[in-house]
Parts: sequence; C-alpha cells; structure tokens
Amino acid sequence: MRRQEKNAGANVGVLGKREKYIGRRYGLPGRKYGVIYRSVLMENLQYAANIALGFFGYFVFIFIFIKLWDYIYQTPGELIAGYSKEQMIWYVMMTEMMWFGSNAGSVGRQVKTDIRGGNIAYLMNKPYHYTLYILTKYTGEWSVRLPMYALLAVMIGTMMVGPVPGFKIVAVPVMAACIILGLTINAVFKICISLLSFWIEDASPFQWLYDKLLLVVGTIFPVEIFPQALQPFFKLTPIYTVCYGPAKLIVDFRPDKCVEILAAQVLYLAAGCGLMFFVYRKGVKKLYVNGG
Amino acid sequence: MLTVVKNQILVCILSVKYNIMREMLNKVTFLMNVTFMILNNASILIQWFVLFRLREDIGGYTMREVMLLWGLTAASFGLSRVLFARVYSLPELIVSGKLDSYLVQPKNVLLSVMTSSTNISAIGDLLYGLILLAVCGLGVRGFLLSLLFVVTGMIILTAFALFLGSLAFWFVRVEMLSGEMVMGLISFATYPDGIFQGISRFLLYFIMPVGMIVYHPVHILVRFDAGMFFTVLGYACLLSVAATVVFYRGLRRYASSSLMEARM
Repeated sequence: MRRQEKNAGANVGVLGKREKYIGRRYGLPGRKYGVIYRSVLMENLQYAANIALGFFGYFVFIFIFIKLWDYIYQTPGELIAGYSKEQMIWYVMMTEMMWFGSNAGSVGRQVKTDIRGGNIAYLMNKPYHYTLYILTKYTGEWSVRLPMYALLAVMIGTMMVGPVPGFKIVAVPVMAACIILGLTINAVFKICISLLSFWIEDASPFQWLYDKLLLVVGTIFPVEIFPQALQPFFKLTPIYTVCYGPAKLIVDFRPDKCVEILAAQVLYLAAGCGLMFFVYRKGVKKLYVNGG
Repeated sequence: MLTVVKNQILVCILSVKYNIMREMLNKVTFLMNVTFMILNNASILIQWFVLFRLREDIGGYTMREVMLLWGLTAASFGLSRVLFARVYSLPELIVSGKLDSYLVQPKNVLLSVMTSSTNISAIGDLLYGLILLAVCGLGVRGFLLSLLFVVTGMIILTAFALFLGSLAFWFVRVEMLSGEMVMGLISFATYPDGIFQGISRFLLYFIMPVGMIVYHPVHILVRFDAGMFFTVLGYACLLSVAATVVFYRGLRRYASSSLMEARM
C-alpha cells in the first residue's frame, strides 16, 4: 500500500514536471500557433500524393497560356508591355503557381463552413484567436503544397520555355519572402470576406468576384499590359501585393522595385490584419447559436 | 413502356424542381449566387478585350466567335450542373458507399442519382451563356441551333463526368482526378482551338471531348456543315450510352457502407 502511494506520488511528480515543461514551452504568446502549424503540416505531409493529383489542372492552365502567348508573339525578341515572350510565360507560371500552390479557396470555405454550421461557437472559446488559428492552419497547408508546385513550375518552365532571362539566383530569399507575404495578405483578405457570413448566409459570391479580379488583372497579365490610366488604380488594390509584386520580382528583379513591393506588402498586411480583427469583433456580436 | 418513361421523366423534373425550391428558401442568398455568378463570368471578358488590343484575331477567332465559345461553354456547363450536379460528386458517393438510398428506390438508379442535387450558382452560368448567345447576332435560326448545341454540350459534358466518376467503382483515387479532368476540359473550352496544333489538337477532339462540346458547334454556327452537325449529335449519343454502360458495369462492384440515410 505504501509502495503504491509512493509510486502514485512519483507519477504526479512526473506529470507535474511535464505540465510545467509544456507550459514553459507553449505558454509564450505565439507558441500555440507554432503547435497548430506543426500539426497541420504533419497532417498535410500524409496527403502529398493527393496534392500531386492536382498537377493536371496546373499543367492544363500553363499549357494553354504557353500556346496563347506563342500565337500572340509573332516575331522573336518582340516585347509586349515591356515583357519578352519568355518573361510573359514565366510571369503566368509564377502567379498560377501561387494560385494553385496556396489553394486559398480553402480559407474562405473553412470560415464560411464554421460560421454557417455553428462550429465557430466551439472554436471561439479556445485559447487562441479564431482568425489567427485559420491563418496558421492555412500556412501549414500551403507549406506542403507550394514547394511541390514550385518544383513542377520550374520543371515545366525549363523544359517548355527555357530559363527566366536575367534571373538573379542571389535574390531568391527576397523573392520567397515576397511570395509568403503575398499569400498571407491574400488569406487575410479572403478571411475578411468570409467573415461577412456573420451578416449574410453565404459570402461565396463576394469571394468569386475577389478571385476573378485577382485572376484577370494580376494573374493572367502583368499590370503594365492595361491602359496607362488604370495602372495607378491597380497598384492600390491587393493585386499589386498578392500576385503582381512577387511574380514581377521573379521575372524582372530590380532592387528599387523590390523595396517598393515589400514596403507595400507590409503596409497592406498591417491594414488587412486590422480590418480582419475589426470585422471579426463586430461579427461575433451578431452570432447566435441554436442549441443542439 | 411509354408510361414508364413518362413517369421517370416526371420524377426527374420534380426532383430538380424540389432541389431548386430548397435552395430558394433563402431568397437573398439565391439571388446573390445567381447574380454574382453572371458578374463573375462577365469579368473574364476583360481578358479578351486586352488580348484583342494586342492582335486582331486569336487563333482565327474574333471577339464574336470568342463570345460564342464562352456562351456555349457557360450554358452547357450551367445546364449540366443545374440538372445533373450530382454527377460531379459521384466518386465521393461511390467511395463512401452512399448509393444505398438510391438503389432501393423503385425508379431508375442512374437518373435518381444524377438529378438528386442542383448547383444554384450554375443558374448564373446558364443565364450568362444564354445572354451571350442572344447578343452574338446569330439570328433566330442560329440562336435556336445554338440552343440545340447547348443541349448536346450538356449531354457530352455530363456523360464525360459520369464516365470518369464511374471509374471510382474500380479505382479509389479517381475523385480528385475526375474533377481535375472536367475543370481542365472547361479551361480548354474557353480558348480558341486555333492556338492548339499537332497532338494537343488531336487530344482536344478525340480524347477530351472539347471539340464536340464547343469547337465544332462554333464552326457550324459560323458556317453550317451537315457532316460536322451529325458528328456532334452522334458523338453525344455514343458517349451517353458508353458512360451509362460503364456506370452499370461498375455498380455491380459497389459495396455499401451500411450507412443509415434517408432521402427527402
């Protein structure tokens, strides 16, 4: 009996130490998001083969654009809006890589489903901020997808188009930072739109318009291809920071442009996060839950 | 026999009608879905205005032919997803063993499955497609012919999705691949065939039925060709029969998940 008590005491001690260790390790602000990120990352690594099945859609899109620009560029060395044929195709390949590799639609769907289905009532009570939880989860998802699509893009591009003219390999870390910032800004805006589900039942139609704006104006074409009068306006929209900026740096890297794009991204991210927290705070006040 | 067919058609019509009525419970959401889908599709015209500023024709197509291409694609896709939306999620039903509730009904299994769901935003696709076809200046005869091609396009698209979806009876991972193939087909269908040459052109006409859904119909609407016209009709019939045969062959291999489910 005494022996049992002694052992029991030892167990409590071990558990206590572990709890303290966990508290020390994860108690700091931000650590909990690290744990969420890691668990989502591990989960997504299990489904890498499923992600690879989506390569077909990316290939089809790129194939169409290679053929389209092949048709439009009639003479070798011709420039359209300051872009050579290779630059134009690589631009589309990079923006589409971000589009397919990030699967940003999942962020919107998740928030919409949580709000419509009432699951948000459980998630908002957890010791994290709901929007940051969604953002972290999404980051864990694209951390697996994006490198796979990047590898595919480089392979297709090198085989079918050739290397990016004047590509600066030393600038790759800055380009990567720019892509990550772009994806995060896009996710923040998509969360903001999905949070409208607090007021209207389905915010998907707004997501379609936002996506189409990004697709038509920033993904398929660089901003320079549009009339001069419209370009300053496009630079004020998320298009400049989400898709145009990162892709522009990859196909035509210039230090001054890089600083300009990074600064715009930081400003946009700060404003976007502010808007996201504001809309969420207002939205949860509208929430009512039917018991079940 | 005729009464059985009549009853089956009536059941299908009622099924779609109730699907739409269910979605219309929230009228604001319903109208927003339809209206915004029309706007969403219309925004892609910006891309074509930009491209036609660069070249007078793209793959031999002028803006009018591109509008025809978009009109036929959007209307065929929309009609298919209004009437037979469940075909596009068929692999999910098969893999998770959720076909039981359809198998016990005293009506045609395939038609019951196909008409059991409606995609509301697809009404926006259908309307957008019809508006584009109406403003293309085809004339009354041309417009009626384009409506026929919307129906053949819908049949071919549905049959293609059914064929791919039915492969889930044999292969588990078909779900994602069939979705990618259908979306790939739609992507090809919205660009002129003139930009594709060689093997890719062959694939688009004979492996992925894009040629039969939109390219041939657009050529026929521009200049009527009886041979091409009957090829499209014949292909639609042939693919429907093939897809139905594959579905029923696969159904023999279906294993239930013993899930309790009720269809209302």
